[in-house]
Amino acid sequence: MVKYILESDITDESNLVCTFEERLDTANCQKIEDELFSKVEESKAPVVFNMRGIDYVASSFLRMCLRVAKEVGPGNLSVINVHPNVKKVFKIAGFDKQLSIT
Amino acid sequence: MGSAINVDQMMEKATTAAAVFSQLTQEHTDRIVRAVYEAAFDNRVKLAKLAYDETGKGKWEDKVIKNVVATQFVYEDIKDLKTVGIISENEETGIVEIAQPMGPIFAMIPVTNPTSTVMFKILIALKTRNPIIIGPHPSAINCSTETARICYETALKEDAPEDCVQWLTEVSQDATHEFMAHKDLSLILATGGSSLVHAAYSSGTPAIGVGPGNVPAFIEKTADAHFAVEQIILSKTFDNGTVCASEQSVVAERAIADKVIEEFKKQNCYFLSRQEVKALEEVAYDPKRSLMSPAIVGKPATEIAKMAGIDVPEDTQLLLVPLEGIGKEYPLSGEILAPILAFYKVGGFADAVNQCIDLNFYGGTGHTASIHSNDEEKIREFSSVMNAGRILVNQPSSQGAVGGIFNTLDTSFTLGCGSGGKNITTDNITAKNLLNIQRIARRRINRRFEHFDQKLYFDESLDANAIEKKFNMND
Repeated sequence: MVKYILESDITDESNLVCTFEERLDTANCQKIEDELFSKVEESKAPVVFNMRGIDYVASSFLRMCLRVAKEVGPGNLSVINVHPNVKKVFKIAGFDKQLSIT
Repeated sequence: MGSAINVDQMMEKATTAAAVFSQLTQEHTDRIVRAVYEAAFDNRVKLAKLAYDETGKGKWEDKVIKNVVATQFVYEDIKDLKTVGIISENEETGIVEIAQPMGPIFAMIPVTNPTSTVMFKILIALKTRNPIIIGPHPSAINCSTETARICYETALKEDAPEDCVQWLTEVSQDATHEFMAHKDLSLILATGGSSLVHAAYSSGTPAIGVGPGNVPAFIEKTADAHFAVEQIILSKTFDNGTVCASEQSVVAERAIADKVIEEFKKQNCYFLSRQEVKALEEVAYDPKRSLMSPAIVGKPATEIAKMAGIDVPEDTQLLLVPLEGIGKEYPLSGEILAPILAFYKVGGFADAVNQCIDLNFYGGTGHTASIHSNDEEKIREFSSVMNAGRILVNQPSSQGAVGGIFNTLDTSFTLGCGSGGKNITTDNITAKNLLNIQRIARRRINRRFEHFDQKLYFDESLDANAIEKKFNMND
């Protein structure tokens, strides 16, 4: 359901890129939460959520974002390739102040 | 004294819920609303009894009916309303309307209709994808929060956003003000007394409020006296008179007044003597606050009579108070939410209507007026001089004003009172009032403007009529 890749960017800093492959509704979020969080803890690297193809996020996904953001520290969670619908969700929730969303 | 209410935290949750809500489809939204309506409806009796036991006001049986109106009738009214995405398209005008949610709503709940108002407000908020925070009345916390809990848990089962319904388990004035002025709050639904509504409007957050009523019921000479009296009794005894749209006084035209009095007596209503009126004033009115006394609100007529030391038959339905005038010297001419009804016998049509205007302007502008008549012209004449959002004809005003049963007004437990009641609208507030409507405006150029020589606007010798003539000329 989620692909995890530890990749290096041009500065050679490693990022944990999590690519979501299924609709992020409540049920799916429950299924992935524990695994995702243990990967984040394990990698100790900044995290990137790749949202390509995702046009809906449930409350539990937003909660998950906050939990990860807290774990990795300020500026270390980026959310990329967001669909406008999801961009709007982050905007309304005010999360764009805490996370980098592109 | 520390408060357990964390306003910022609740608002943060509501804001997140609003974000998730924005993605829901019409089909998903409607599924949630249907489920919540069913759950609230299924608990109608339990919650009505809870409300009665907790507040001691009204009648539990009538509170069941209120819960039915707040669920079955409200649902009927809103179920087919489009509240998501494109709601209308007009090729000719080029205007397309898109419905968007407003955002977090703070909803104040009155003690007189606690469970029904919670049901109603939650249903219209969910239908429009707005998270709602329920602020109960301090004397109705348990029944209000239990209603909210049932609705919320049901909504969650249909995958509604987390925290789409929240509620306060204690009431503090400071927290209420903090909510109302919170930067992330989108709307206040203020159903309550004047001071609360005023505070809502002063908070800086958009607010939909209500106003106090002082509903005159005019019995015009062509009315069917028996029917009119029956309707008024049905209305004024409903939940022991707690509905703010209930009749506060009867104004009977002289030609029909005796018949009306006879009918009231026949139908077990008690006319007070001058001394008894004085005694009733003592218990029913609080001169310090210039308001009805809370102790008599929603109490049965016989109980109130006992409190005032007035002997009335056991089966008395209403206490009728013959009055000579209106105003402070006649405390019972104002709003009293109990089975007490002022009574005026007045000369002709014009005098009677003038009396109704005085009553309407004595604390009830913008709310509701009632007329019993079979003369269409008189009905229109009366309506045009009343300052009332609703003018109800030949029906009980309590049940009539909330819509859905006796007429086709929108079913609502929040009755807008227009500028007369210091409100923004006279609407029966419902789902459609909780939307931001966006309009896509396609290019549809005004042809007359296109063909008009705009230099003429700079010629000061041309007045409005001259310009209008040239503007509308076909050439």
